[in-house]
Amino acid sequence: MIYPAPWHTIGRHALLPAAQHDEMARFDMVAHLNAHVAQRLAPKVREAYESRVLNAWRMRQGHEPADRHEVAAAMKQDPAYRAFSLVRRNTMEIRQHAGRTLVAREAERLRAVAQAATEGAATLRLDPKLNLPRYVTAVDTHLMQGGYTAERIPADVSNAANYDAGMYATIGGSGGPWNDAAGRALVAWLKRHHPRFSPQCIVDLGCGLGHNTLPLREVFPDAAIIAVDVAAPMLRYGHARARARGFDDVQFLQADATATPLADSSADLVFTTMVLHETSRQALPKIFAEAHRLLRAGGLTLHLEQPPYRGLSAFEQFMRDWDGRFNNEPFWSALHETDCAALLAKSGFGSANVFESRCTAPPAGQSADGDEQQEDFGRAPAWYAVGAWQAAKGIAADG
Amino acid sequence: MDSMEMNHSLPFDADPIQPAAAAATGRRPDSPQFTDDPMLDRLYGVTLALITELAVTRTRLDTVEKLLARRELVAGEEIEGFTPDDSEAAARSRLQAEYLDRVLRSLD
Repeated sequence: MIYPAPWHTIGRHALLPAAQHDEMARFDMVAHLNAHVAQRLAPKVREAYESRVLNAWRMRQGHEPADRHEVAAAMKQDPAYRAFSLVRRNTMEIRQHAGRTLVAREAERLRAVAQAATEGAATLRLDPKLNLPRYVTAVDTHLMQGGYTAERIPADVSNAANYDAGMYATIGGSGGPWNDAAGRALVAWLKRHHPRFSPQCIVDLGCGLGHNTLPLREVFPDAAIIAVDVAAPMLRYGHARARARGFDDVQFLQADATATPLADSSADLVFTTMVLHETSRQALPKIFAEAHRLLRAGGLTLHLEQPPYRGLSAFEQFMRDWDGRFNNEPFWSALHETDCAALLAKSGFGSANVFESRCTAPPAGQSADGDEQQEDFGRAPAWYAVGAWQAAKGIAADG
Repeated sequence: MDSMEMNHSLPFDADPIQPAAAAATGRRPDSPQFTDDPMLDRLYGVTLALITELAVTRTRLDTVEKLLARRELVAGEEIEGFTPDDSEAAARSRLQAEYLDRVLRSLD
């Protein structure tokens, strides 16, 4: 059994809600429930499938389940899958409720801290007139009540504070003390594969609270970094959080990732981390096209996600579909069936400039350009990466 | 239509005195049903919340024990080796029986 990190090991900063004893204990139990689900209940689901469900389906249908939908039909009534789902869903509800009760108590204090950190700063640019995409406002993504854009009080930061504090419990601290493993993985990938790539302007589309933006600042101290999101509460919190951690010059900009106010050919690196699965089918190609518009020749767009379904067994796809079914991730399944590489190629990059890769975060606290051999790949969080290089515009290779 | 004006304020007022009530239930109208009886799904929900709250209580008790030990007021082995005297034992028995009467009431 691998135990999750206790909540009190989270990185401390001025914006973090001040959890009391029982609030921390509740987060710890959430982390343990998730570990139990992953390490004890999930293997039982596979066992049930292989030992009884698969055979019963074969007897009835005369063939193996052809795809994840047939696996779902076969597994729907199975007690192991029901137990797994009951505990997993309820753990997510308990996690959200625990976070909401914590930030309801802290909302006004955190707002004041965020406002003080923003006083006189030109690095936070909000756009109250921005039309918020319906695919963001209409969904309580991963059961987060009100979603990313909701405000309990004017100039609220509480849902962002809930996201920051609760994520550490949800992933059992596996993102490191600053919840920034995806950002560190992106940096490690760049250092390993393109050590001389030195972007002068970096854009993070769908930055949320900027947790995965800040590792870029650590390795590219001279680059301009612009973190873009549609959700003002996330940006207010993220901006103040960055400053509280000493990152004073990262810019936070409220804009739609499909149509930012940034200039054509102004960026060298445009990236997303775990954003594509929270965008609609209509928005996705527009985000890629926006990356193409923003990039200078020689620039790179890179997107970190959970792996696509192709190549995975029907059972594996079915298990990965759980968040789409039961954790309010309505775009999850569609995204994982989308060929993002092909979509990037069609978005102006040209297929010869598109690539797929994998990346892994070095353990927190270790150098981002550390030796691959020293990394514990069995434990470190890992992502699928899809990206494209910007050729000189207008002559993108298409082959 | 990809975007529209929306009122995205939450349907409740934050109440710092009763945060659990202010945060509502977290259950959405589209809550999935995993068992054959919706009431059984709710019972699982209550049970898992109880599991969590029991763990919170046990953690708090552990904190108190650790603090007592750090200040050398009560050592861990004193707790492990604790034997109540007769009147303490009687009082504890009463508490335990009463507790079972309460939690098993629906099985009467």
